[in-house]
Amino acid sequence: MSAILQRFISRSQLSLWHNTVQWMLPGAELRGLHTTAIANKAQAGRYRVTRDRSRPLTYEMANQPFKIAHRKSWNSWNTTSLLEGMREPETVVEDIFIRRFMTGTWHNLFLSEVIIKRQHNMVRIAGIVHQKINAQKMYFLTGYCEELLSYWLKCPVKLELQTVTDKQDVIYKYI
Amino acid sequence: MFLQKVYVLDMRAQQLLRPLACRSLATSHPRAEIKAAAEEEFRTLEIGRKKRERFTAKTFKPATMLPPRYKQQKTDQDWGSVWPAARTFHPATVPFPVRQGYPASGQPTPDKWANAELMKIPNFLHLTPPVIKRQCEALKKFCTPWPAGLETTAKQEKHFPVTVSKSSYLHSSPTIRDPKARIVTLKVHLRSLDLDYHGRDKLLRLVGERYDADTDCLTLVADRCPLSQQNYDYCQYLLTVLYNESMKTEPWEHEKELVDLEKYVWEGSPSQAAAQNVVTARGINDAEELLKEYGQVVTDLHNEGEDEATVLRYQESVMKLLGLTDPQDTATASEPKYIQGEVC
Repeated sequence: MSAILQRFISRSQLSLWHNTVQWMLPGAELRGLHTTAIANKAQAGRYRVTRDRSRPLTYEMANQPFKIAHRKSWNSWNTTSLLEGMREPETVVEDIFIRRFMTGTWHNLFLSEVIIKRQHNMVRIAGIVHQKINAQKMYFLTGYCEELLSYWLKCPVKLELQTVTDKQDVIYKYI
Repeated sequence: MFLQKVYVLDMRAQQLLRPLACRSLATSHPRAEIKAAAEEEFRTLEIGRKKRERFTAKTFKPATMLPPRYKQQKTDQDWGSVWPAARTFHPATVPFPVRQGYPASGQPTPDKWANAELMKIPNFLHLTPPVIKRQCEALKKFCTPWPAGLETTAKQEKHFPVTVSKSSYLHSSPTIRDPKARIVTLKVHLRSLDLDYHGRDKLLRLVGERYDADTDCLTLVADRCPLSQQNYDYCQYLLTVLYNESMKTEPWEHEKELVDLEKYVWEGSPSQAAAQNVVTARGINDAEELLKEYGQVVTDLHNEGEDEATVLRYQESVMKLLGLTDPQDTATASEPKYIQGEVC
């Protein structure tokens, strides 16, 4: 009992009110105010700095989410977020599917994020791809993706990829 | 037979027990492999699993890197043929150098090669001025000149008084449907409609808020039907009905009372009676003009509201009616006649 009491009272997160309550109400030490360590830090899209500055970052990775519309642009372009723009949830889910499909089909080949632009009826997919496979394979993959995605999404799909020989070209800085 | 009976766990012992001729052909135990090393004195014993060779995919390296496409483009080429439609930025096709991005410390602004930011943003390389000109030229054959006789707004309003408007909507989605596209708006000026005083008054009562007094414009909005064609027909029907109904006079309209009057009418009002009383009390014989003027002023006060001009005119009229003079005007003022009476 005293051990539990000690444990509850010695924690620094407990407020003054809670400490007061301990001796006022019987059994208060058993009704714990469960608190955690500080968990309101933003950690989305942030990469840990290494000691020897060996982690390579692309421009996209180096700029954190709050830099969107400042130093970074969006990866998804469509009319759903405009006033009375329709079909927002379906578009979002389709975008998620397209991204997974592209990164999976072009296995280990995408060096940038998949950029999805929608214009009228068309879906235009862009990105930077590494030249690890030969051109014929790339053409096949392009045709395959366009064909299957157009059947799934019921829209014409166009792939507009840029290829890069060296991975170092996309690296912006090292941290 | 001898071998079958003896169960020897030790591998070495088992090897020894086998006849000599079989020893060389003995299959190796997966656990311990004895390698025959010609040069070494001792045979090496390798314990442990065989190292699996890791298969690394061969990276394809193009034998000769082709130069970027813009190096083979002439400076006076037709750019509209190179970039005919909206397309994501491609650095090898676009001939000019362009940089985009915030530079890292000690680095220049990132250039166009492998620049995802340049790919993300919309570009208008498909809409250069010569291309726009070409497209306009191509569209010109579908255009007709503006009709003669409709140059000014007045003429347009005279010949086409009714304006019907509807919108269509485009979204970046597989569907072309938008429920807002069914809304149809009909606008007409009341001066274009041939209405008398009663008709106009009745129409305004029927229509309510749809009439804008500042612009003298009646606006009818229809969105109750699913198709815009149906809503358009409904608008036409509404206008027809409104006009016809306002031209008719129903028998119950004669039951209109004082409170229903749309504006103040002086004839037959208590104000007229009171003014008449004043005039007869003062004994003025021909007070037609006075009364007329007074009536006009009171009507203005009620209909147009109270502002400085109307109140001033009312003051002057009342003073004339009562025969009062401004004390400042005449030094020797005649006796002001104060007449007890209601002046409303």
